[in-house]
Amino acid sequence: MKRSVLLFVLTLAAGLFIGTCFTGQAVAADKKAAVKTVTVATDATWPPMEMVDAKKNIVGFDIDYMNAIAKAAGFKVVYKNTAWDGIFAGVAAGKYDAIISSVTITPERQKEYDFSEPYIAVGQILVVPKAVKAKAIADLKGKKVGAQIGTTGAFEVKKVAGVELKTYDEVGLAFADMAAGRIDGVVCDNPTAANFALQNNEYKAKFKIVGEPFTRENYGIVVKKGNKELVDLLNKGIKAVKAKGLDKQYEKKWLR
Amino acid sequence: MAQIDKTKKDPSGGPKKVSIDVGDGAAIPSREDVGLFTAWRVAFFGAIACILYLAFFKPDPYVEILKFLPDGIYVTFKVTVLSIVFALAIGLFTGLGRISKNRFINGAASLYVEVIRGIPLLVQLFYIYYALSKFVNVPDMASAVIAMAVCYGAYMGEIFRAGIQSIPKGQAEAARSLGMTPAQSMFHVILPQAVKTILPPVGNEFVALLKDSSLVSILAVSDLLRRGREYASESFNYFEAYTVIALVYLVITLFLSKLIGIMEEKIRAE
Repeated sequence: MKRSVLLFVLTLAAGLFIGTCFTGQAVAADKKAAVKTVTVATDATWPPMEMVDAKKNIVGFDIDYMNAIAKAAGFKVVYKNTAWDGIFAGVAAGKYDAIISSVTITPERQKEYDFSEPYIAVGQILVVPKAVKAKAIADLKGKKVGAQIGTTGAFEVKKVAGVELKTYDEVGLAFADMAAGRIDGVVCDNPTAANFALQNNEYKAKFKIVGEPFTRENYGIVVKKGNKELVDLLNKGIKAVKAKGLDKQYEKKWLR
Repeated sequence: MAQIDKTKKDPSGGPKKVSIDVGDGAAIPSREDVGLFTAWRVAFFGAIACILYLAFFKPDPYVEILKFLPDGIYVTFKVTVLSIVFALAIGLFTGLGRISKNRFINGAASLYVEVIRGIPLLVQLFYIYYALSKFVNVPDMASAVIAMAVCYGAYMGEIFRAGIQSIPKGQAEAARSLGMTPAQSMFHVILPQAVKTILPPVGNEFVALLKDSSLVSILAVSDLLRRGREYASESFNYFEAYTVIALVYLVITLFLSKLIGIMEEKIRAE
């Protein structure tokens, strides 16, 4: 009796394993087809740029934009939902070909990775609870300000002396922590700040956005250093998308 | 970590008594265990040598990483020590509750152990930190310590229960016949003897808790792992940063398990 149970479990395990192998092969066979497939990583926790909707699809401004680029430049996109912390290491290791995940083009990142042309301009902005009277991060001296780990928002908070930076795996956790009263501010890109502070039903009564964005940044698509072929392909697509005015259309759809 | 001790032969010449000692912590080295003893030495001094070598010959970025970490190491220790203190207290009460004849107390303690042991620590941390913050506002460090202590308290409770039950019944009966109350016999006779049995597994839990404390980094508690991740996310030196973190954790856990090993030997010698 016991042996038959063991046999059953082993058969099941073997079946699952073989099944996985075959799916892997199917994907590999797909890649050999005439249309080039580009695997793109995105951290879908950054609404409205990239997020997972109720049907578990990855959607957002970046996703629409990337699909339009692919259509214009003639390649196929496969998305890989990847945690932000480590997303850069993955492109360097060749786990995927590109990253579209609201990545700001910075000189430090350009040293390690190649970027496409900028596709949208944003800025860092401070979000605080309604009761907090602060005009800038510097007004929160001696207090805790949150940001997502490894984002330009975190780097901006770190620059301000006297403010304690708290880093989170996802920006949503930083907002949850602010709602719980453990931190007094969150710094992130303005579209995402607007999504959490103005559109989120739970947060819009609690939080407010402070003034205007205090940095000017450009998002770019990240590829492995030296992958010029893909950069050219992406730039061609971005140019076409801008020429068609699709970018304005997506801004209206996602950013309002 | 499973350690199979085949050396204990049954004196009657019967089949070998094999004891399998399974714990989550690093192996506690003892003098009889010659192979493990040298393994400890190789790992401990090897890790220290690695850190020194990297810092000396590749100061950029290794010295920078090492400079980035100390406050994280302090936080890791703080979380571990505070958690173990509270876990011990919770464990003692749970252990006593588990052997209580009062059906309500016994049921409550058993339920606590069953529920906590059935939920992954990572889920508990998220739950106490983010889910319960809807009702009560607990600071981040306290929240991390509560979550770790509540989790480990359940395991400690089982250790205390086993330790107390390992003391022969005659001891309690003798204490009662001397006119001691049940509480007096527990705290003056049973527990002091049980401590000897309880200490080794508690030491193991201590090392295991130190390693599991790396999970609190998800709560934005700036422990060793989070500090390393912050460094890596800004410099993109993933390999270097995680190498140093792994080595530092290794040195700390090996050092602690050695301390616990020495402590155990002293207790056994007494």
